[in-house]
Amino acid sequence: MKKQNKQINFSKAHKEYVKKLRRDKFVIIFFRIFVLIAFLGLWELLTYFNILDPFFVSSPSRIIAQLGTLAQSGTLFTHAWITLYETLIGFAIATILGYLIAVLLWWNEKVRKIFEPYVVVLNSLPKIALGPVIILWVGAGTSAIITMCVLICIVITTMSMLSAFLSVEEGKILLLKSMNANKFQILFKLVLPNSMPEFISVLKINVGMSWVGSIMGEYLTSKAGLGYLIVYGGQIFKIDLVMASTFVLCILAFGMYYLVSLLEKRYQRR
Amino acid sequence: MENLLTFKNVNYFYQTKNDEIFALNNVNFTIEKQSFASLVGPSGCGKTTILSLTAGLLKPSSGEILLDGENKINTKKIGYMFQKDFLFEWRSVWKNITLGIEIQHPKNKDEKLSFAEELLKKYDLYNFRNQKPRSLSGGMRQRVALIRTLALEPKLLLLDEPFSALDFQTRLSVCDDVYEIIKSEKKTALLVTHDISEAISMSDKIIVLSARPATVKDNIILNLEGKTPLKKREDKSFARLFDKIWSELTNEKTEQTN
Repeated sequence: MKKQNKQINFSKAHKEYVKKLRRDKFVIIFFRIFVLIAFLGLWELLTYFNILDPFFVSSPSRIIAQLGTLAQSGTLFTHAWITLYETLIGFAIATILGYLIAVLLWWNEKVRKIFEPYVVVLNSLPKIALGPVIILWVGAGTSAIITMCVLICIVITTMSMLSAFLSVEEGKILLLKSMNANKFQILFKLVLPNSMPEFISVLKINVGMSWVGSIMGEYLTSKAGLGYLIVYGGQIFKIDLVMASTFVLCILAFGMYYLVSLLEKRYQRR
Repeated sequence: MENLLTFKNVNYFYQTKNDEIFALNNVNFTIEKQSFASLVGPSGCGKTTILSLTAGLLKPSSGEILLDGENKINTKKIGYMFQKDFLFEWRSVWKNITLGIEIQHPKNKDEKLSFAEELLKKYDLYNFRNQKPRSLSGGMRQRVALIRTLALEPKLLLLDEPFSALDFQTRLSVCDDVYEIIKSEKKTALLVTHDISEAISMSDKIIVLSARPATVKDNIILNLEGKTPLKKREDKSFARLFDKIWSELTNEKTEQTN
């Protein structure tokens, strides 16, 4: 009630302003959807009239048909589940382990300095180069894929979290020390909660990186999964299969990102 | 009255890779129980070093520091208030205030918690106890920081330019608030400040330091009329004291350049 009364008191200019904001938002959403429909429509039309060869570029209707067959035979869910499973496990291991290593490096300055150059080298090394080594060491299949996924995410997790831990204001540490806090308390009462925003952005980065890791792992060695379907589809020149798998991948990756952003919103509201 | 803090021939050197910085040169002073003392001196002279030594964050290179009659510093007897409030943004006002209690988990925890609650009520922050620090004004934040320090019931409060981040108007009123709180809680305080008039208006004693290596140049005992720092500024000897300290500090600078 109170709010409504308040609104009436606003000037005409304010009304216009709010109207403009709403109009702008509508325009943005409208064109977003328009771009998607135009793209899909053009794609469909060009392939329908054979201006583009659907054998090479597929088409929306063919992708939907492909998804239908895959879903009916149940293989779609098997493959999607395998990739999702590898990604989630890799994501979890890399995030937890990377975080713990960052804590360890924060804890001990000497250890940090000793490992600094190794972390830098590991970070700049393209992890895919380790593919053959990984297969030899952990065996082909799921474990190799998860290892690849972990390797891709872990270094960036450790580096980002460590720099967040080290950026705590010196004065706040001094404050805790003047209260007689020990290092454990400094870690749990200050350093970790203080780095929550960075942790959430690491999660967001890792969502993207872990999909890169699992798909790359599947390119290397796999008998199932979306990455496998993409490679297989490419090899037998079945672009519909490649596109359909990519589409499913998009949906899954977006879903995972969305969950993390929900987590972020919840944290910010606290 | 009895002394709470005594510095006896305290020397301090800072070690760096290429240098050894002589920070304190034979520093001697005493602070009586329940008095308010200020340290003034040219910037960089080692005022904060004296506070860090008192808080036990640094150890003197030589000499002796007596706190409450003991020559080993018990950090639990010290409350340190910094230039910035250093409130933790993810904690509510109440959780910020009880931070020290959480860390020290003393035996009489419930007593301390109810004391902290009492302080909040007394100094008009009780209604804000569940809010996050970001919704408070600068002056309120500084009051929360003071109560966080007082909640541990320290014997000696160390104030490291706690008002310097505030604008002038807020500064005068927060100064009054803090002074009143410290006096009514019967605490002893040692204030470091750049602001001569702030030192005069708040202190019972002003310790004037020389440039680095700092040594005590003068001990000025004050006896101004007026109940609050703001009122004390109206005392007729205020201007004279200001000039005296000012000339002591500026003489220092000309000596240095010579």
